[in-house]
This record gives sequence, structure tokens and C-alpha cells, in this order.
Amino acid sequence: MVNPLSLFLRPKVTETFEFRDEELEALGAEIKKEIPKVFGHSLAIRELDSGSDNSTEIEISNLGNPHYDVERFGISFVASPRHADVLLVTGAVTLNMAEAVKKTYEAMPSPKFVVAVGDDACDGGIFKGSYAVLGGVDKILPVDLKIPGNPPSPKEILQGIFALVKKARN
Amino acid sequence: MDIKINKDATDLLSMVSSIAGEEPELLNARENEIYLKVSETGFKDISPSLAERKFSLIGLFCAEDFEKKEGFTLFYVFKQAGRAPALVLVREAVRGKKVTSVAEIFPSASWFEREVRDGFGLDFTGAFDTRRLFLHECYPEGFHPLQKAFKNGPIRPTETSGREYKFRQVKGEGVYQIPVGPVHAGIIEPGHFRFSVIGEPIFSLEIRLFYKHRGIEKLVEGKKPSECVALAEAVSGDESMANATGFCMAVEQVCGINIPERAERLRAIMLELERTYSLLGDLAGMAVDVGFALVASPFFMLREEVLRQNEKLTGSRFLRGMTIPGGLKKDVPDSLLKDLPAFLEKFSRAFESAYDRAISSSSLIDRFATTGIIKKELVSPLNLTGPLARASGYPADTRLDRPYGAYRDFAPEPSVRKRGDVLSRFEVKADEIRASAGLILRLAENFQQGPVFAESAEYDGYAGQSSGEISGSGATGYSLALVEAPRGQNLHWIYLKNGLVDRYKIRTASFCNWQAIEHAVIGNIVPDFPLINKSLNLSYAGTDL
Repeated sequence: MVNPLSLFLRPKVTETFEFRDEELEALGAEIKKEIPKVFGHSLAIRELDSGSDNSTEIEISNLGNPHYDVERFGISFVASPRHADVLLVTGAVTLNMAEAVKKTYEAMPSPKFVVAVGDDACDGGIFKGSYAVLGGVDKILPVDLKIPGNPPSPKEILQGIFALVKKARN
Repeated sequence: MDIKINKDATDLLSMVSSIAGEEPELLNARENEIYLKVSETGFKDISPSLAERKFSLIGLFCAEDFEKKEGFTLFYVFKQAGRAPALVLVREAVRGKKVTSVAEIFPSASWFEREVRDGFGLDFTGAFDTRRLFLHECYPEGFHPLQKAFKNGPIRPTETSGREYKFRQVKGEGVYQIPVGPVHAGIIEPGHFRFSVIGEPIFSLEIRLFYKHRGIEKLVEGKKPSECVALAEAVSGDESMANATGFCMAVEQVCGINIPERAERLRAIMLELERTYSLLGDLAGMAVDVGFALVASPFFMLREEVLRQNEKLTGSRFLRGMTIPGGLKKDVPDSLLKDLPAFLEKFSRAFESAYDRAISSSSLIDRFATTGIIKKELVSPLNLTGPLARASGYPADTRLDRPYGAYRDFAPEPSVRKRGDVLSRFEVKADEIRASAGLILRLAENFQQGPVFAESAEYDGYAGQSSGEISGSGATGYSLALVEAPRGQNLHWIYLKNGLVDRYKIRTASFCNWQAIEHAVIGNIVPDFPLINKSLNLSYAGTDL
């Protein structure tokens, strides 16, 4: 029989990472400290694409990759708006998506927060003036925070989330 | 007008005249593109013969008031796989009169025609699907945004209640529908999927997209080419570089600009970096969808490393803001290019270890093999391109068939599989990552110093300026550019009038490739749908425009 204690002596299954970003770790630690003050133990985020160019989606989903791995800071992305505290909206809100955006927001339990991510979501960006878009997310939803960028980097998005958590406390 | 044409174009011209039994009017010809106008009866004879000769309809679009002609002009772009020249048949349509559909001969025309109908209000007779495409129920009747009479600006949406998009109905004992979307459960783009299932197996799937329609083709109208690059980049974020390049190539062809060699090489390096990070995301996503985090994580890590490399080289993780008609906005320092081989070597080692771990897992193979098969017979009729087509035994690649820029001297290693299932796509995409890494290495070798912007363009009235702006003093003309984006062939057609964009048509690979998914899922079980979808990884933004 294998002595289970010997498992400790074996080499680890996964390699150790060569990257460690102290700035990110510090930011993460602060977020982790801040979240329970307002949201219980974790922050549940629902991502909603209202007409982005998909680069913002890539950066948001990058928050889950091993370089960032934000779940360890108490941030989770949830599948349903019914489970969400925060709605991250990307894109200039197309006419074709407007109804779905409203319904998604309405499906969230209160209290709820809306964050516009990316230049297009903030004020329409380069799609401003098009027949096909309403403009920024604030045209149809109450927006609590805007994170500009084309697209904002994962770290900038995380800084935005931190700003929102702090704002929610006040 | 005296138009010089090369041998390929002469062959196409004589072929068209022999089929149509008439001498078509030669409107224009450039390297690898020829524009012919045929009569209505000639057009009717010619389309079935082109289908028999294995031409695909790779694009169909409309322009209004083209070359001083009143009304609408339709452009049918045909191409044979593996051959460079594009044959563009030009058809004129009178306002308010219907034109005959070719959707029964070329199924790829169905979406094209619906797109033209929405944009211009031109109806097609004999079309088997006349529903709206990108204009959803919120758009008023009679609204056609691409007509010149419509000046871009906010419109008042109509009440949607009571107006319904009619999905294909599948009836029978035990058949029920599963509606999914537009808002999906993950961090992905919106679109609607309507499954008809009997128990678990999928009997029929109909997709409905265009939720992200942002009106890009209208927004570029009347702008200077240099102002439109950002919009081309916003067509689809993870194809920013490919679309910026396609747009700029089309403008450069119209203006007769030859860009410097260093700019061509740098463009190719960036195009391959884009392919690499994009395909890495696909491989990671496929692993995620079979619940295999141990394999997904290394691919995600590598993608992040490539995105960071992009930022180091260009200042943008998505390689944005670099490309401009005439070359590049700024140079990439040699000191950074010198680091590429070392980066790629480390990259390749990590990639192979992750790939081996994936492919040696029997449970992963079990999910991937024989899932979501796309038959080779579908490739040409639906104009499927890219890794998807190559995984179904169809070795077409724009970089090889119709080389552009630095690809004229640097050919990628082709990769083809025959089975057309998820596993084939996984393997082809992995091969293409390896090929891209190899290509970047070759491109980065023996780099010559030099300008990255065409100082003197060979077109009257167009002077390349070192400020990175092309003065829009009067070029008029039109041209077609085809680029191989990570997802397949993207088509860019531009018509400049006095130096301003009069019409810009973008047809991304996803626009055509989306239609493959309706075929790929048949007979598969619903839980395999996310995996099949991921293995195709199509762009919603790039389709919806």
C-alpha cells in the first residue's frame, strides 16, 4: 500500500509559475479585504455584451486565466443575472440588443450595480452617431462606474472593480 | 479606357464570353481581379456554369450611384479554390425592380441577398428565404440604412411587440424546441440558437445573429481612408490586424501605393501573432468545454504571453493603431524584434508540452473525435474558409492561393485533415500555431532597416506623408482585397470617390462559416453543442458588423 504521506515528497503535478505581478497581488489583496464589507463573502459578476467588438470580452475572460485568476480575490463570474451583484456591460448598446439588455438588468436582484467597460460602453465610442446604436450604456441603464479603454487591460478592469466596491460602501 | 489585363484575367474573360454567348463589357482589371458586366440573360446562363466549374460565390454586395450610374449596382465575386484571380460579375438593378436570386445555385448567396435587401431595399425573386437579416424587429418597415438617401443618425425604433421572427418549424412526435440566447451563460457574445431536438440528439438548429449590428458600413461613408482604420479594427477585436490590413490593402491598390518591404514584413509578423493568440484561445476554449482545466490553463497562459508580447512590440495587446494606408504608423525597434526568436523558442516548448498533454488524454479524444462533423461537400457551396475548411479536407488558404504582402516570399506550412470533426479542427489549429511561430521566426530574420511608410505613392494627387496621413485629394476607384484572418478568408472591397470612402464592404470568414454550424450539430447531442461551437469559434461582431 502507498503511504499517503509520500505524496508530499513527490514533485508537484503542475509547474510553478514564472510570473508574479506584485502590483496585481496587492490590488487583489485589497479587493479581497474590501468585498466582505459590502457584499458578504464574494462579488458575483454577470458579463453582458451589448454590441462590443469582442476584444473587451477577451480581456474580461482573461481575468480568469492563471496570470490573474481573480477568483482567489473573491470575484466570480456567474451564468445568470439572478445570481449577480454587478453587471459588466461592454459595447455601445445596439438597437438589436437594447431589449435584451433591459431584461437582463431587470432580472438582477437589488441592490445591483452597473459598470460600463470599454470606450464604446462609456459613451458610444467610435460608433457614436450610428443609426444602429443608442450610445453609451447610460442611455438605458443607471451606470455606477465607467472603465474606459479600447479595450481596457485586465488590470484596468480589476482596478475598476475595486473602485466600484469602494464606491458601493459609501 | 485602355485596361491592361494579364493572362489569368484573359482566361476568365474568354471563359465568361463562351458561356454567356456574348462579349461581356470589361469594366476594370487589376492583378487578381477582373470586373465584367454581362447582360441579364447572360447572367442567368453563367451562374449554373460557374457552379459546375467549382467557383464559389465568395461575396455579393451592392453599391448605390456607382460610377455615375443611377440606382444600384450588384457585385458578384466568384473564385475558384486554389487559384488567385477573383471574377467579379457586375449587374445593374433598377430601383424598385426585383432581381433574380442565385441562392438556389450558390447557397452562400442566401445571407448575402438578405443583407443587400436590408441595406438597400432591393428584392430578389426566387429567393427561398426573404426574412430580414441584420435589421431586427425594432427597425421600422421601409428603413434601408445603406441607401444614400438615408443620412446617418439616430432613428426611432418601432414597437416590437406583436412582431416576431419566424423560425423554421420542425414538427413531429416528440420534437421540441430549445431557445438559447441572445444572452449566453458565459463571457461571450450574443446570438440566438433555436434547437429542435428529439430527446438529446439535435434534429435541427437555426441560428439568428446580428444582435451586435453597429452599422459599420454606414459609418465609414464619406470618411477619409485613414479615419476608417479604427472602424476596420473594430469589426472584430481578435481580427483587428487582419481587418486593418485588408482595408489598407484595398485602399493601397486603388491608389497604386506600394508599401515598403519593412512595413510588409512587420504587418505579416503582426498578422501571425494575431493568428497565434486567437487560435490559442480556441484550443483553450475547447479544453474548457470538455472540463479539462489542466490543458486549458497552459493554453490560456500562452495566449496571455502573446498578448503581452504584442503590447511590447506595438503598445497594444490587440495590435491596434499600427496599420495605416501606405504602411505603418510607427516602426518596431530592432531591439524588440531581436527578442522574438528567444520568445518563440520558449513558447514552442511550452506549447508542445500542453499539446501533448491534451492529445494523450483518452477522455479528451473521446469527446473530440467524430463530434460536429462538417462534410467537405459543404465547403464550396457555403463558401467555408479557414481552419474549419482545412479540417474538412479542403486545403484553401489565401496566404498560399493568392499571396499578398510578405506572404509572396514567405509561405506558411499548410495543414489539412480529412475527418472534419472537432478533433481535426483542434489538430489543424495547433498545426497553424506551430506554422505561425515558424513563419514569425523566418520573417524576423535578416531584417533590413528602412522606412515603414510609403514616402512617394505612385498615384497622382496622392502623396504619402511622413505624418502617417494620406491626403485624400481625389483618388477614385475600387478594389478588392482578400486576407487570411485567423478564422479564414476576409473580403474587403472599397470604392473611393475623390479620396473619400463611398462604399466599403467587409465580409468576414465568420459571416459564411456560421452557416456551417447548422449542419455540424445535426445528430449530435445538445451537451456537445458548446464544444462544437468553440471548435469553430466564430466571431459575432465580425458577422453582425
